[in-house]
Amino acid sequence: MDFRWHVIQDYWPVLMSGLRLTIELTVIAVSIGTVIGLIVSLFRLSKLKPVGWLAKGYVDFFRGTPLLVQILLIHTGLPPLLGIPPMPRMMSGIIALSLNSGAYIAEIFRAGILSIDRGQMEAARSLGMTYGQAMVNVILPQAFKRSVPPLGNEFIAMLKDSSLVSIISVQELMMSGKIIVGRSYRPFETWIVVALLYLVMTMTISQFVGYLERRLGKSDHSE
Amino acid sequence: MITVSKLNKKFGDLHVLKDINCRVEPQEVVVVIGPSGSGKSTFLRCLNQLETATSGEVIIDGVSITNPKTNINKVRQEVGMVFQRFNLFPHKTALENVSMAPIKVRKMPKQEAEKLAMELLVRVGLEDKAAQYPDRLSGGQQQRVAIARALAMRPKIMLFDEATSALDPEMVGEVLEVIKSLAREGMTMVVVTHEMGFAREVGDRVLFMDEGMIVEEGPPKELFSSPQNQRTKAFLSKVL
Ligand SMILES: Nc1ncnc2c1ncn2[C@@H]1O[C@H](COP(=O)(O)OP(=O)(O)O)[C@@H](O)[C@H]1O
Ligand SMILES: [Mg+2]
Repeated sequence: MDFRWHVIQDYWPVLMSGLRLTIELTVIAVSIGTVIGLIVSLFRLSKLKPVGWLAKGYVDFFRGTPLLVQILLIHTGLPPLLGIPPMPRMMSGIIALSLNSGAYIAEIFRAGILSIDRGQMEAARSLGMTYGQAMVNVILPQAFKRSVPPLGNEFIAMLKDSSLVSIISVQELMMSGKIIVGRSYRPFETWIVVALLYLVMTMTISQFVGYLERRLGKSDHSE
Repeated sequence: MITVSKLNKKFGDLHVLKDINCRVEPQEVVVVIGPSGSGKSTFLRCLNQLETATSGEVIIDGVSITNPKTNINKVRQEVGMVFQRFNLFPHKTALENVSMAPIKVRKMPKQEAEKLAMELLVRVGLEDKAAQYPDRLSGGQQQRVAIARALAMRPKIMLFDEATSALDPEMVGEVLEVIKSLAREGMTMVVVTHEMGFAREVGDRVLFMDEGMIVEEGPPKELFSSPQNQRTKAFLSKVL
């Protein structure tokens, strides 16, 4: 086979700007998703039935339908639904990824909260703390710590899944690849390098999460 | 100090507490004994509404806590509880465990709360463990921190639910010693225990519970030496 690696060199700036956007998209989506996830997980644990159902409906929808469909649905459907002008592609992408990520993170936090021994809440309440005070001071700090490894996995998943917003032509790494292939007619070289760039990112994150886990493990006073 | 009338608690079909009536006077130490599963813990947990009563009334220091309009958090500030499994906050040091509630609930300045916490740790003999996390403490030490944590709210009443049952035998003494010292100082207490020697020594009154009822009660000397009820006799013959 005849490789033409100079193509990569020629289009390196395009790849790099795509890479940057992929990182930005992922960081933003997981950040917003974390906030959504926290709120939704607390809703899901709420004693108010309708609040719980609402939260469960949200989680079920975003975990039970393809992200690709969600992206298209939000990009084409949300503006008319809300009666607003069409959204920039980047905005649609961020909303879709954040909502999707929020659903998964809600389940991560829910599992984390439920894994904390019942006695912790009882001890806190017996001291006169409200439910909210007990959550904030006692339950959530312990639940967060236990959520770090699955959150790391979610970050890696989101990094890869962010490639799906290329369907609405957001020019992240995947879309950059498509553009380069379209111009250079060198798909193999291009996709190899795109794959390697994703791999470098995911490996870096899992290294970091591993490090974080070890550090938290050392100071893990939760058992 | 505590008045319980016609208290019933059901878990689904399971009728765990049946028409419990009882009073605890200020400074009185009431010891609750009885076989496992007889409802002792449930009874104690109804006294601060960790379990919601199915029917009946519990009045703490003049406030009906079974009334849904009562701010239960306010009442719980006056009622300390010590659990069988300690339930210390594992992400906080011993000192932080003790100072947390005064800071968060009583809005006490941090410095003042830490000073108070330190005094209480001294009192339970653990001043040198202030900076340790619970997983570095023995069971007996953890339970003493848990007692200090409850005392930090300056409660009028203390509830102990088998505070020494999860401890290795050599650590039981140190925890009982702390509870005894509280009794000597006149703390109003309800103590569920399997330590009959302790019940006899510290209790002003002993309640014997079986199958969700208070079957017999009286001063420890009488109840232990000449129990009237058949079930009390049977139980005591097994544990004494
Ligand atoms: N949260 C609960 N749900 C259902 N049953 C319970 C619950 N808590 C206690 N019980 C039942 O109530 C009975 C009394 O329990 P408990 O008060 O813990 O007894 P004791 O402390 O005397 O051993 C037992 O049969 C127990 O299984
Ligand atoms: Mg019990």
